This record gives sequence, C-alpha cells and structure tokens, in this order.
Amino acid sequence: MLGSQKRAGPPPASSPTVTANGQWRSPLPVRFLVGRKTRRLAAPYLLLLPSAALLILLLLWPTIQIGIYSFQNYGIPQVLGTMPTQWVGFANYSQIFSDPEFWSSLKISVVFAVIVVPLTLIVGTLVGLLLNALGRRMAAFVSTTALLAWAMPPVSASVLFVWLFDPDGGVVDWTLARIPSWLGGGAHWAGYNWTTSSAVPAYTIVLLLVVWQAFPFIAVSVLAGLKMIPSELGEAARVDGASPWRSFWSVTFPILKPIFMVLLLLSVIWDFGIFTQAYLVTGELGNRNEYNLGIYAYDKAFTTPPSYGLASAMALILTLVLLVISIWYVRANVKQGATA
Amino acid sequence: MTGVEAQFKKDYPAYKNTKINVVWVPWTNATSDFNTALTSGKNAPDITEIGNTETPTEAELGGLANITSEVDGWTNKSDVVPGMLANDTSGGDVYAVPWFGGVRGIWYNKSQFAKAGITSTPTTWAELTADAKKLMQKNPGIYGIDAPTNDTDALVSFIWGAGGQVATQQNGKWVGDLTSAASEAGIKYYVDLYKDGLSPAKYVGQTELGNPGATSGGPNEDFALGKLGLYIDGPWASAEFPANAVDKSDWASFPIPSENGPNPAPAFAGGSDLAIWATSKYKTADWDLIQVMDSESNSTTFANLQGFFPPYTSKLTGGDYSSSQLMSGFAKAATSTQISPLNAKNWSIADETDEVLPTLIKSLDQGANFASSVAKANTQIANVLNTGQES
Repeated sequence: MLGSQKRAGPPPASSPTVTANGQWRSPLPVRFLVGRKTRRLAAPYLLLLPSAALLILLLLWPTIQIGIYSFQNYGIPQVLGTMPTQWVGFANYSQIFSDPEFWSSLKISVVFAVIVVPLTLIVGTLVGLLLNALGRRMAAFVSTTALLAWAMPPVSASVLFVWLFDPDGGVVDWTLARIPSWLGGGAHWAGYNWTTSSAVPAYTIVLLLVVWQAFPFIAVSVLAGLKMIPSELGEAARVDGASPWRSFWSVTFPILKPIFMVLLLLSVIWDFGIFTQAYLVTGELGNRNEYNLGIYAYDKAFTTPPSYGLASAMALILTLVLLVISIWYVRANVKQGATA
Repeated sequence: MTGVEAQFKKDYPAYKNTKINVVWVPWTNATSDFNTALTSGKNAPDITEIGNTETPTEAELGGLANITSEVDGWTNKSDVVPGMLANDTSGGDVYAVPWFGGVRGIWYNKSQFAKAGITSTPTTWAELTADAKKLMQKNPGIYGIDAPTNDTDALVSFIWGAGGQVATQQNGKWVGDLTSAASEAGIKYYVDLYKDGLSPAKYVGQTELGNPGATSGGPNEDFALGKLGLYIDGPWASAEFPANAVDKSDWASFPIPSENGPNPAPAFAGGSDLAIWATSKYKTADWDLIQVMDSESNSTTFANLQGFFPPYTSKLTGGDYSSSQLMSGFAKAATSTQISPLNAKNWSIADETDEVLPTLIKSLDQGANFASSVAKANTQIANVLNTGQES
C-alpha cells in the first residue's frame, strides 16, 4: 500500500531519481547502490551459510571420510597405527558384490520397503481422512492414541512385539493355537518360531511394528493438508454428484500431492534403511538369513575384528541407493514446480 | 572382589592407597567394548577378564600386553593346566593367564529320569537319542534335548565325538575337515535331534540362552522350569536360570557322549583369562594384582561361585568335584577337552562375524542339501581361518 501511494504521490522535495521500473529511490552514492545490489544477490546465500556449514561439517565431511576408508584396508591395527593403512582399490566393493549374503540382504531390504511404504501411506491416509471426518473430541482422542504409538521408542516397541510373538508365553501364538483350523489357526501355531527361523515370519513382525509406529505421522501430516483444502471444493464435488472415491482422486489428492511426495520420500528412506526394529526382532546378529542391508553393514563394522573399510563401502552403497531415490524425487518436484 | 582387594593391599603394602575400580561388563558387550577402547584409546581397562577364544584375536589386534617374563617368574605357573596356558601363548609370547575354565556337559533332572525308567546316563549317541525319546514320552509336555543352531561350542563336541575335526592345521595352513565321514556323522546327528522332533522348532536361530544377544531364556529357561529333559551347557548355566526354577535338588550332569562310547566326546575347553591391557600405565601393579586374583585359593573361590573350575591341576584332581552330584559329570567331561581351532586368531570371524557353523546347521534344519551345504561351509571355514575372508 505504502509503495503504491508513494508512486502515486508527488515527487519529494529532495530531487529523487526514478528507476527503470518506476520506483522512487533516494539519491545515494553509486558505490552504495552497487554494494546493495551485490548484497541482495548474496543475502540468500549468506542466510544459507550456517546450515550449509553445519551440513558440510557433520554430513559431507564424514561421507568423504567414509568414501576414503572404503578404498582402504581400514581396521583396528590401522587405527592404532600398528599396521600401515593400504589402498586396496575396489577390493572392498568386489568383496561385497561377490558375497551372496549381500544380495540376500539387499533383496530383504527392497522387498520390505516395497511392501511397507505403500501400506504405511495407505493406512496413514485412511486414518487422516477419518480424523478429518470425526468430531473435534473424537479426533483428539484418536490422534492422541495413535501418536502414542509414534512416540514410543523403537527399542521398547520392538521388545514389546517380540514378547507378543514369543513362542512360549506370547499372546499371538496362544491365540492362533486356539483359533479353528479353517480360520488359519490350529495347534501347530503353539510354540511357532516367528523371530529367528526365517525372514518372512520375522519381517512380518517388523512390518506390523513399522506400520503401527509410522502411520500416525502420515495421518497427522495428511490431516494438516486436509484442513487447508477450502471446504467449497468438497461441497462443489458433492453437488456435482461425485462419489467419495472420485472426489478423493479428483480434488483431495491433486491438492495434497506435494505432501504425499514428501511422505513417500521420507517413508522410502526410513523403511529402506530400517535397522533398530529388524536388528532386535531377528535376534541381533545371530541369523544371517534374516539380515537386511543395515544389519549386514553393522555386522561388517562392529564384530571382532571390525573391518571399517568394508563397512564404509557398504554404507556408501546404501547412501548411493537412497541418493538415487532422492534425486528422482527432486527432479519430479522441479518438473512439477512444487515447492513442498 | 572385596576380599581380593583387601588381600592385595595386605600382601603388597606399597599399594595401600591404590584404588581398584572394578567395572562389570555384560558378557555379550565385552568384545565391542574392547574394540571401542582400542579405537578411541579411552575407557581402556588396566586388567581385563577375557574369554579364552578371544585372547588370540585381541593379542593379534595389539590390545594385550606381552607378559612373558612375568609369567616365567610366576610361582603358580607349573600347576596351571598346560593346554590352558598354551592357548594364551602366541609365537612364544604369553599374553594372558588362565583365570578359570569350564566345559559343557549335559544337564538332566533325576526325577524325570526316574519317571522315564532310565537308570544310567547315556554313553553313546544311540542311547542319548533313546533317552531323549523316553523322557518326552514319560514326561508329557517336555522337549527331549536342545540342539539350537547357534551353539557352536556344543556342536563341536559332536563333531569331535565321532572322531572328526572342524579344521586342522597342515604346514601352517588351515584345512577344513567338516566333509570327513566322521565330521559329517556328527553334524548329521546334531541336525537329526531337531528333525526327529526331540529339539523344538523354536530353538532354530537361537543360542542356548534363547534369542541371540539375550542373556537368558530359550533352552536354559526351559530346563530350569522342567520343560526340557536334556540341556547342553556348562555348570555356569546356573547363573542364568530364572528365579522360579523348579526341582533344583534333582539336577545332575553327565558328559556329552561320543558316537560309540564308552569315553565321552572331547569337550570344548572354554574359560576366561586375565590379561593386562597394552596401554595400561601401571603394568607392574597390574601383574601384582593378577597374582592375587589368580592365586590358587582366590581363583578356586571365584570359579566355584560361578560354576567354573580353577585352572590348577592340583585343584581339579583333588576330589572336591567328583563327589558333587551336579559337578561330577562336568568334572568327568573336563578330563577330555579340545580347543583347536576355536582359539585360531580368525576363529571369531568364522563364528561371530560370519557364523559359518550356525548358518550351516540352520540351513540343514530347514532342509538344505546335506552334502553341498557341508562342503560350502568347509570351504568357508578354511578360507576364514587362513585369510579372514569367506571367499
């Protein structure tokens, strides 16, 4: 308002100059004007500098270090200096790629993410839509209880689930053994070993655990998005006779797409790199046929004697995979012109 | 430890103002704590207890001080069980002294044996299987015996008990021996304990203490609660039994049988050593304290407290153990032991990092081809022992 008034008003007494775009500007030394221009260009970067410095210090530098280690025979004797650090070229990488356990770990990580990510997003979105439809009190109640699951530390939650599925006193085996066989139950479930025998039952538990802990975050984010959609749009769709299904895909989803993209990326990163829950459910490092990439890397890095070179190569591979996903996401965002 | 500290200050008046700081570390965390101490140079102990299979590995990594000259002048040296001290020696140098030792045997419950009509403990594999079956029939609801996949230290007794070996050293190189007929017989017998339904499916992927990493549960808990007939573990297992254990007075032990009897299978000679950390600033004081901790009477007291044996020949043959109902079986097992290749410097890679034998047993339990799986594990073991890598 002030600007337009100025432009409309008479020129002030102190003979100002008029710039190309018609704005009044007080007469200032040219040098200052140039300085101001540079400053305007530099300002965003200056504002970014603290966080960039922090990221370089805490993220980029360690990544570079890891990159260096991944080409070395780096272990405890090298840390202590009792043996020289040697460059081993791609030996660490070729050792990983020729290890069948790496491929089985990769398979478990990929399959797990492919199943869990959509499941989390669907459950979370449905709960978000439910919360939006509920009255204020009920919504507060549902979101509070759901967020309690989200707020629970992963270690406690994992121990809880391991107990639920315990072969001896676990409520799941106990219940399944009492369900008639035509419903999938039966006596063979008594003492069923979920956690340590093979990957499918063990990761079924991890799946339930991760979905249970992750959907509240999705639900609340979706709810926040839903609250921003003007109610007229929904009303208009209803007046036009759109089914809830149709109005979700034609109205809600396009508007919330940036939010879904963020949630998708975050879920992929979280579920692909899942460690704590899988480590605890599958019996720490004791069952190699149930390793995922995170456990595989941990095993290489932290069992005696540790091979930090090998584990660095492993960490870098994991990072690169996630980087590819992230780059795809950023590209998709830039194309779309979304800023989310 | 309180008594030891008092005695240390009495025997060595120069240390009367020395403070001894004892830190108890959970056994499962010990090796990762060692690594952290080594890499960071912080929180390193002056003296440490160390598992005897870890000693060669840590000595190789440079974590332990060379105490050859101290041990040479040690008055107790001549009474230490020779094999135990040999394990702490690498290239002629001594890096630790044995503190206590122990062997696995088979725990059983006398009242369950009576119910099953078993009058003498088994001395062959056929008898062991038959007794496990009888126990299950006559004591409804119990499992016969435990054959968990992640219990290498018990499994090796079955390989050795048929006359087989895991690997042997020839001309300085490790050669796998799992594919010999005797070793294969031992592996097959162990896997069949599961396949015949004597060991339950829930022990697949477990150690004798339940889920890997757990410090209680699994077969240990089942035996203590009377739900498992025969339990393979050492006398130290009593420390992990749950508080609500039943029939304690009925517990007894016998050595792991060999394939055809009558002598028991060689037992893995487990145990702990005392070592001085390489970076310790007080090595003389450390050694003086070790001499007090590892005196014949102190080590015996400490070993008895945990269900272990002292490392001294005179104590082992003294008759205190053979007269005990619970300890007599273990004492008998202790007369025939083996440690190689479990003390090879790369053994912890084979067993902890790569888990060659647990992975083999698990895949066999789950129906993998026997000959090809054993052959693969045989190659891996030899490779790891020689180079530290599976392939």
